Amino acid sequence: MSLSYDDVDFGAELPPTAPDVTLGNVRRFTAASGMTFGRFHDHEEARKEGLPGAIVPGIMSQGMLVALIHRWAPRAVVRKIDTIFRAPILVDSHPVARGVVTDKNDETRTIEIDLTIQNEAKETRVVGTATVELP
Amino acid sequence: MEIDVETLKRDWTGFTFDTAEFEVHAADLVGFAGACGEVAPRYTDPSDPDFQAVPNYTARYVGRRVLPDNFPRLGGGYGFDAGKCVTPLAPIRPGDKITARSQIHDVYTKTGRSGTMLFIVHRMEFSNQRGEPVSVVDWRMVQQDRGAR
Repeated sequence: MSLSYDDVDFGAELPPTAPDVTLGNVRRFTAASGMTFGRFHDHEEARKEGLPGAIVPGIMSQGMLVALIHRWAPRAVVRKIDTIFRAPILVDSHPVARGVVTDKNDETRTIEIDLTIQNEAKETRVVGTATVELP
Repeated sequence: MEIDVETLKRDWTGFTFDTAEFEVHAADLVGFAGACGEVAPRYTDPSDPDFQAVPNYTARYVGRRVLPDNFPRLGGGYGFDAGKCVTPLAPIRPGDKITARSQIHDVYTKTGRSGTMLFIVHRMEFSNQRGEPVSVVDWRMVQQDRGAR
């Protein structure tokens, strides 16, 4: 059964996800999005730029947060998503995406969700907010 | 070099400095969505009757120019991508021809432990082949500025 607006409480936590940021999957993303910079899909190229290794594109991080929302509420319509790229997520690392409902608007049947992606060291690398309409 | 933010805003915001066109392909929509871990069939399955781009798909597009011609070089600091805000307005589907119009939407500063950061908000407004608005993307570019006021 799909989640509806009335099912959601203020403070509800979305089930965390473990996005796939293996090199192979990031290469799939860069191929589909036309992001050809070596720092996204080649560890050596990234190191030449002074990075510790290849990094996940910011917009892929944003897409992972959109996917987090749809995995929780498949019929949700994302009306707006704003993400801040605080620090890079490394390719081949093990990040976790999380979300929590911070507001509800009965008139528009929309909710606000605070979003984060943390790395293995529990450092928050990406933060964001989304406005989401639910049926 | 001292940078006057109000002058930058007055002189450089609010006009289109670049226009670019893009064609939307089903394989790219599937690849983008799948790599991000999307599971909703309307984003992952081209046979779904409502198949469309994921909400932040337009964030992948870059115009021919990031800044207007002759936009001042700012402060000599380094620059980086600080974030993106995407507002989807209508579905984007395979075969759509998308036009993107770029403008500098805002210029502002924030001061923190590492000094004053200059934010340039590059706005891209996307419309489809019928002229319908489909998405707005605000891209926040940051320069660590040594003379913003």
